[in-house]
Amino acid sequence: MAGEPARRAPFTGRSAVGRRSLLRAGLAGLAAPGVATLLQACGGGSSSSGNPSGAETIPAPDNPVRWPLTNDVIKSGLKPERGSTLRVYNYADYLSPRFLKDFEEKYGVDIRLSTFNDADEALTKIASEQLAFDVYFPSYDSLGRLIQADLLRPLNQDYITNRGNLWPRLRDPWYDRGSRYTVPYTVYSTGIGWRTDMIDTDVAGLTNPYDVLWNTQYANNTAVLDDWHTCMAMVLLRNGIYDINTTDPTHIAMVREQLLDMRRTMSPSVTIDMYTELPGKKYGLCQMWSGDAINLPYYLPEKTPVEVLRFWFPENGRGEVDNDLCVCLAQGKNPVAAHFFLNDLLDNQVAETNFAYTGYQPPLLKFTPDSLVADGYVPENLATAVVREKDFDVGFPLLQLPAAADVAWHQVWQEFKAGG
Amino acid sequence: MAESAGPRGARWLWPLLALPGVVWLALLFVAPLYVVVAILFGGVDPILRQPVPVWNPADWDFTQFRYVWDHVVGPQPFFRAALVRTVVYVGLASALCLLVAYPVAYFTARFSGRWKGPLLFALIAPFWISYMMRMLAWVNLLQADGLLNRALSAGGFFDVHTAWLNGRPSTVVLGLVYGYVPYMILPLFAGLDRIPVATLEAARDLGASRWQTFRRVTWPLSRPAVVVSLLVTSLPMLGDYFTNDLLSGSPNTSMIGNLINNSVLTPGQTGQAGAFVMLILLVSVVPMLLYVRSTRTGVDVQS
Repeated sequence: MAGEPARRAPFTGRSAVGRRSLLRAGLAGLAAPGVATLLQACGGGSSSSGNPSGAETIPAPDNPVRWPLTNDVIKSGLKPERGSTLRVYNYADYLSPRFLKDFEEKYGVDIRLSTFNDADEALTKIASEQLAFDVYFPSYDSLGRLIQADLLRPLNQDYITNRGNLWPRLRDPWYDRGSRYTVPYTVYSTGIGWRTDMIDTDVAGLTNPYDVLWNTQYANNTAVLDDWHTCMAMVLLRNGIYDINTTDPTHIAMVREQLLDMRRTMSPSVTIDMYTELPGKKYGLCQMWSGDAINLPYYLPEKTPVEVLRFWFPENGRGEVDNDLCVCLAQGKNPVAAHFFLNDLLDNQVAETNFAYTGYQPPLLKFTPDSLVADGYVPENLATAVVREKDFDVGFPLLQLPAAADVAWHQVWQEFKAGG
Repeated sequence: MAESAGPRGARWLWPLLALPGVVWLALLFVAPLYVVVAILFGGVDPILRQPVPVWNPADWDFTQFRYVWDHVVGPQPFFRAALVRTVVYVGLASALCLLVAYPVAYFTARFSGRWKGPLLFALIAPFWISYMMRMLAWVNLLQADGLLNRALSAGGFFDVHTAWLNGRPSTVVLGLVYGYVPYMILPLFAGLDRIPVATLEAARDLGASRWQTFRRVTWPLSRPAVVVSLLVTSLPMLGDYFTNDLLSGSPNTSMIGNLINNSVLTPGQTGQAGAFVMLILLVSVVPMLLYVRSTRTGVDVQS
């Protein structure tokens, strides 16, 4: 399995007219009947063919996709042009500055790093094609749209010599058979983080740990991820619904009810800055990505012991697990340097540098749960934040949603965030 | 000929002087506004859900605007709370700004003497620090073990764990006041400083007390400056979103600026952001009309 939480790009292709009709349907109300109308209006379900042209192609573990080559592949044997500027588009704090500096010195190029907060924002800017980004870090749920819109450059595998360092399962992943467009960057799970000096409850010991985010004892002391799919999927998991990409209107209506209830009773912060705000005591309990949990100790005030930090992810692995990717954008002016950049990300030493800085785990053979703890990258009390390869066998990835469901999910999220 | 050249030259002079302003308005206000309208009433790219502006009004589609409108006044008005909240927050913050700024500006204009220069410098100083940095400073001060809670605990005597940053409307309003009060002080100072001292002395000579002088002379003469300063602060407050993002982060304190920000960054919803912008524009027209009326009154008084 794979997925990519919290950094998510919602969407699915559909005509503007279709979208409007969806919105009209949505006006009837977002309660279950409204959602039902919405979904029926445009149909749900995923396509399974590996080829676009009209129908949506939605990759999934049980529906692997080999994408068509939509742009030219660069020739082999080229070198990055010295003095050129490589434009990298990524989340903030998701690459080590040291790696960027080393790359600049090694290849004689300048790197200009631009950042975004979520995949929605990123796609908006990439789609303008004005910014000429060379390298981008998407989630696999937006991969289909990027390819359909001719925004990606297929990779010349001759340059990706480090692919052998990867976990075997990610050398030919279900979301990109043949690895034609992507290299995996990080793996992560989504769970709950808390501080024992602010939260009395042993969250991991609860029958249903997700319930703690609705425990009014901790009202005004919680946060959830500002990522529509990740946050809403958590509500589904709380209710024992493991299809976290559901198109079922009753499930979406249930998620709506419980999210609005959470907002009303808990007043949570909605943010992706848990890795700084939990150490800063802005709140004591939050939904959290494992990579951010691993990063928490570095943001703790000096006198605060690391032992106060905790992270819970289902012991049986039945939670959200995903991986992020790296791609070359067709709009970039430096495709050769971009290929070298992608390949270097899979280098063991570079991956270690990035992991030490970001806390997000590279899916490379070199890094095992035991070695990460033994080498001091992850303290014992946060060992639950280490992603195990077997978690991908039983965990649940966040997938691209069919257009109608995507609109329905977004409307619920919009209502939640509007605070009305 | 020489006699007629003057009036003819003047006839062209004034429009020429107005030209830069007209061009500025056309390029930086009218054109962008039309882009917003074209996006609001436009379409959506079928793959990436990016907005597709429609320039011809005959082809406009009102779905996005209707969607927003229906969720403001319809049976599921989940946008309404943020709109009401915005008006209340901005109203409160503007009033508090005025309460803080007027005495400061009055003192600086009337009583600071040789300290006027340094005081003005001090008033302008906050502009040198970015708004975001000033807000981030408050995040540190207001967090659970921040300076404010430590001060309130009086050295550990009281057990204070107030969560100032977790969805408190008061924190957002005070953040707005703190962020925008410098913008109010300067126009107020400019207005108050322009009031002729002789006018005030005349009032005192005619037997008016200090309070009467203020109420019957200073305040009426400073009213246009008050209106301007309220506009200068309240209009940007209407579109503010990161004060709430930084000092609360909770949907329970979302303002219309947050709705715009969320919509702009969500593919397929960009047109809705245009609808919110239009709503702000409509709301801002009222204070703008008040301002125009007040300046016309000023002109009438002068003439």
